[in-house]
Amino acid sequence: MQNVIERVLNLLIYLLESTTPVTADDVRYTVHGYDDQSDEAFHRMFERDKDVLRRLGVPLKRQAMDAWEVDYGYSVDPDEYALPDPGLNQEERVALSLAARIVRLGGSHAGLDALLKLGGIERSVGLEPLGADLGAEAETLGAVFSAVTERRSLDFKYRGHNRRLNPFGMAHRRGHWYVVGETEAGERIYRVDRIEGISVSEEAGTFIKPRGFDVRSMMDVQPWETGPGPEVEARVRFDPDVAWWAARTLGLDEPKTDLLATVPVANHDAFIGWILSFGKSAEVLEPPELRAEIRGRVKAALETLP
Amino acid sequence: MTSTRTVSRLSRILALIPYVLERESVEVDDVLDRFGYSHEQLTRDLNTVFVCGLPGYGPGDLMEAYIDDEEVVIDAADYFVRAPRLTPTEALGLLAAGMTVIGMGESTPALESAVRKLSKAIIPEASSALVVDVLDESDNVGVLREAAADQAVARITYRSIGKEKTTIRDVEPWAVFTTLGRWYMMGYCRLVEDQRTFRVDRIRDIEVLEETFARPKNVPDPGVGYTASEDDVVCVIDLFTKARWVLEYYPVEVVRESSRSTRIRFSAPDPELPARLLLRLGENARLVRGNEVAARVREIGANLLDSHQ
Repeated sequence: MQNVIERVLNLLIYLLESTTPVTADDVRYTVHGYDDQSDEAFHRMFERDKDVLRRLGVPLKRQAMDAWEVDYGYSVDPDEYALPDPGLNQEERVALSLAARIVRLGGSHAGLDALLKLGGIERSVGLEPLGADLGAEAETLGAVFSAVTERRSLDFKYRGHNRRLNPFGMAHRRGHWYVVGETEAGERIYRVDRIEGISVSEEAGTFIKPRGFDVRSMMDVQPWETGPGPEVEARVRFDPDVAWWAARTLGLDEPKTDLLATVPVANHDAFIGWILSFGKSAEVLEPPELRAEIRGRVKAALETLP
Repeated sequence: MTSTRTVSRLSRILALIPYVLERESVEVDDVLDRFGYSHEQLTRDLNTVFVCGLPGYGPGDLMEAYIDDEEVVIDAADYFVRAPRLTPTEALGLLAAGMTVIGMGESTPALESAVRKLSKAIIPEASSALVVDVLDESDNVGVLREAAADQAVARITYRSIGKEKTTIRDVEPWAVFTTLGRWYMMGYCRLVEDQRTFRVDRIRDIEVLEETFARPKNVPDPGVGYTASEDDVVCVIDLFTKARWVLEYYPVEVVRESSRSTRIRFSAPDPELPARLLLRLGENARLVRGNEVAARVREIGANLLDSHQ
């Protein structure tokens, strides 16, 4: 590992200081650490080191050196390399340090890594008993986020189908990350942890976000509020022992005894699932067709029993 | 390909150099603290920097890096005067961390302006393009957090997940955290005389008592997991395609998988939870084994059919 670190530092310095793109051969015969290697060993090393540079956030560019694209040159623009200074003051750095300690991204403390680059983590005072894990795989999230910020389109597989999406935004809600955007078929929402084989388009700025677009407007719904319909208003009674809990989910005031609630329902399936999770402590009073659907679901469950 | 450790070590070096270059003098202790270094690690990294530099690699081409009289000195490293750009994951991690804490109702003016400045530098339309919502339990979370910070005993009215029973218990709260979209409180429960994790949305009332407790020195990393115990009810269920989401929401053990169905083993302290799940899944699942659970499905099912006549 020691050798890799020295070699990558030397490579990065060479790339930052070169005013014109350099070829693999230039690197091999100039940068300390690559000499005395066989062709194959050199190429393996060079590929690996380029990968390390990218993972560090170094904007490594590759371009053809001649019209026949026989040889490629590599370069790093010092201005693009440098982290822009967001101009944080001491108090703001302390607040961010605390936040980054509290919040994890699927097991990784990506926020703390960011703070190192911004000048280190401020020591906090006292005990902080608060914690949050926003879940999901950090690399996929990073790819989606870069596509959102640089307006690049995304190609991926979702539940077995190929999708191309112009991502307008991201949201974390109810424990999952979602990416929101536009496909050929219209506006769509995808759960990031279900995305497979993601690739980000090479070209940036490939689409224009609709003016006034707001992720929130596409996300602000209970699972049963959107769906194939037809939309009905359900009247539900919850027993006193679960009434307070149902009221919280529905955003209603906590009742003293039992709860009578009117709920707009478009996705019957999702709604019935939620009602049945209360066991016998919830009863749908109206409309009759929802009551019938509940009977149907219960009968189906009873029929599967061994 | 390359170990994450190599990348983290390099990342820290590339962050350290500009920090030192920017300042007149930098104390060793400050660096250890701020960059999470041990003294040995810092010395090792400075020694590495010391042997790297421009091609030629003669004395005038290499960077200078050493510790002198409890101060960190780095020189001749102009190309590293700025740290590298944040990776997308780092940028998202930091921005989302700030937004999460604001969403928890724990915001301060400094945090809000920090998030504003960061968004401006990273993603100009962040407020409409990035939304982080942590489930709104702010009242309870705030009270529990304060109790945990003050090491005060909390008396909670709690409806347990598996047993579907409401109890009042005294708890010594150690940590309050959110994961997978729910809030939890971890601590020592005096009722069961053991460490427990509670779902905050299942806490109906909290009364913070005058009594305090001593928080253990090494509080385990908060995490949510259900550990099966000997008294558990165990059942085996086949999930068909439409019921596969269960794998993501419940701590189940997959017994075998085929293209048509997934067979799982489900443990719970009480038959109520799997019974309700089966009712909910209807024809999309099938109970393979578990007499107590089957009996409970029949009982609740009969009740529901009766009330929804």
